[in-house]
Amino acid sequence: MRAVLTVWAKELIDTFRDRRTVLTSLLMGPLLGPLLLAGMLSMMVSQQVDRAERRLELPVAGAEHAPNLVAWLKRQGVDVKDAPADVDRAIRRQELDVVLVIAPAFADDWRANRPALVEVVHDASRAQQTGVTIARVKALIAQYGAEIGSMRLVARGVHPGVSSPIAVAERDLSTPEARSGMMLSFLPYILILGAFLGAMHVAMDSTAGERERQSLEPLLATPAARAAIMSGKLAAAASFALIALALTLAAIVVTFPLMPTDKIGMKIDLGLPAALRMFAVLVPIALFGAALLTLISAYAKSYKEAQSYTSLLLLLPMIPTMVLLVNPVKTEAWMLAVPFLGQNQMIMKLVRAETIGALEWGIALGAGLALAAIVWALAARLYRREQLAISA
Amino acid sequence: MLEVENLHKAFRTKTGTVRAVDGVSFRAADGEITGLLGPNGAGKTTALRMLYTLMAPDQGAIRVDGIDVAKDPTAARRRLGVLPDARGIYKRLTCRENIAYFGRLHGMAEAEIARRTDALVSALDMGEIADRRTEGFSQGQRTKTAIARALVHDPRNVILDEPTNGLDVMTTRALREFLKRLRAEGRCVLFSSHVMQEVAALCDRIVIIAHGRVVANGSAEELRAATGEASLEDAFVKAIGSAEGLH
Repeated sequence: MRAVLTVWAKELIDTFRDRRTVLTSLLMGPLLGPLLLAGMLSMMVSQQVDRAERRLELPVAGAEHAPNLVAWLKRQGVDVKDAPADVDRAIRRQELDVVLVIAPAFADDWRANRPALVEVVHDASRAQQTGVTIARVKALIAQYGAEIGSMRLVARGVHPGVSSPIAVAERDLSTPEARSGMMLSFLPYILILGAFLGAMHVAMDSTAGERERQSLEPLLATPAARAAIMSGKLAAAASFALIALALTLAAIVVTFPLMPTDKIGMKIDLGLPAALRMFAVLVPIALFGAALLTLISAYAKSYKEAQSYTSLLLLLPMIPTMVLLVNPVKTEAWMLAVPFLGQNQMIMKLVRAETIGALEWGIALGAGLALAAIVWALAARLYRREQLAISA
Repeated sequence: MLEVENLHKAFRTKTGTVRAVDGVSFRAADGEITGLLGPNGAGKTTALRMLYTLMAPDQGAIRVDGIDVAKDPTAARRRLGVLPDARGIYKRLTCRENIAYFGRLHGMAEAEIARRTDALVSALDMGEIADRRTEGFSQGQRTKTAIARALVHDPRNVILDEPTNGLDVMTTRALREFLKRLRAEGRCVLFSSHVMQEVAALCDRIVIIAHGRVVANGSAEELRAATGEASLEDAFVKAIGSAEGLH
């Protein structure tokens, strides 16, 4: 046990004296992720607020065919503009978001009580940017149509309610926290990847790197058990990953409340209690990652070989996130036992401020720790190999 | 005291099985310097690696102060100070921290580590470098640090694999004096070398290894007498059958 502590302390001191590693892993990494996230979210919020509240600018082609409609739009506060000659081209070249085209036959159809045609020309592939504007335009036209329809019925002595047999109303029961979950669906990936591969440098440097620097052989000639030496290195790698993770979460706790998400009906509740719970969720992943990276470093013949394996590991935590993106499913208990998927679901639950039962905590943490223990045992076996110390 | 009996070790390679060590037996006594002499690739390093328990022999027995290495490798390692062929030190730690790390892994108390480190620093004349980080150390300074690290736990038996490799003349001379001092303290010193003069100048007993076997064993005089050659170099060449790989 003393050997484990000795190796752990030495590896941490050694790493912390490597200024470049510390700067990239503990300063840039933990700050860059949350800052990027916060920046993106702020931009999304301000764009949405802007689009929803700004005076609607609406280019109209063929305004002369429906002067009443245009006048009504102006009364609703719409800034009606002249449309360019070639509407389709302007939309395709993204010069305009939306154009209202009034058909030449509008007036004739109108007078004949036939549905009169107006077209909302837009580019649906740009729904992210233009969706709010288009929805506003459609809602206005529908409102105008409904008003005129009611007036026509009243003029004919018919109650307007006759033509609307069903009233549809929506009741959105999502909480502001849950709505923010949609925006934060990429947060788990960033955190899981950070916890999983935060140990990369220390784990690889302390096994594959130590062998290449020719100091592993003397180390293994000491009476300290190989499993103890390996465990010390693994613990140092995991500690480093957890320090980086704690800094990342601290940056999130500090920066996220500064974002004006309440303006779009969302609430990001990532205070200290949620951050601490996320940290707990990710401890098994950090141990698993450190064990897996140690295993790989002990298996690989060189530092370079170990590096090429770890680039594949980058994809591993992505798989559940990708699957969920394509096929979003409701969380079931067994999912919490699947590595990465379980952590993903737990973090999303925390983001959505859902309550998590003791059983769920037990499954998520237990399965992760069991997995880490299995990989640790495998790494200990590999560490006993004769070839371990001998560099090619 | 180190005793090696009929040691065998083979490695499988792509081109077939290589018998790196093929029946090596020798004894290294306390208060003596024993030299393991042989050309490059003779199996010296592999034999030493089995001796300090990094590798397990396919066949044969090793005893360190009477302890069977196969049965109790940890107890054997406690009695061994090892300078392997690979002697990397941690460049972000100071010389003293490098030494203390190994002291702790040997289970020593901090006060004992400090006392031993001071003794080794003065014996190896490294007062100036002791508290510097080892990044940028010369080859000689690195070797001294590695030797001090290997001897921090005051072992009765000292194994050095080609200790003078890459050292300049002055450092080599200082290292020889240090090995003599270890002998005077009654320790058992075993070192390997492919440099004849070094072995001749230093060793009480010479074990000549070629192609994984011991081809001659004895004091310098005994070797000269056995081969009928006047110079040790000729005796050596005769013993191994060729001058290949010699300096």
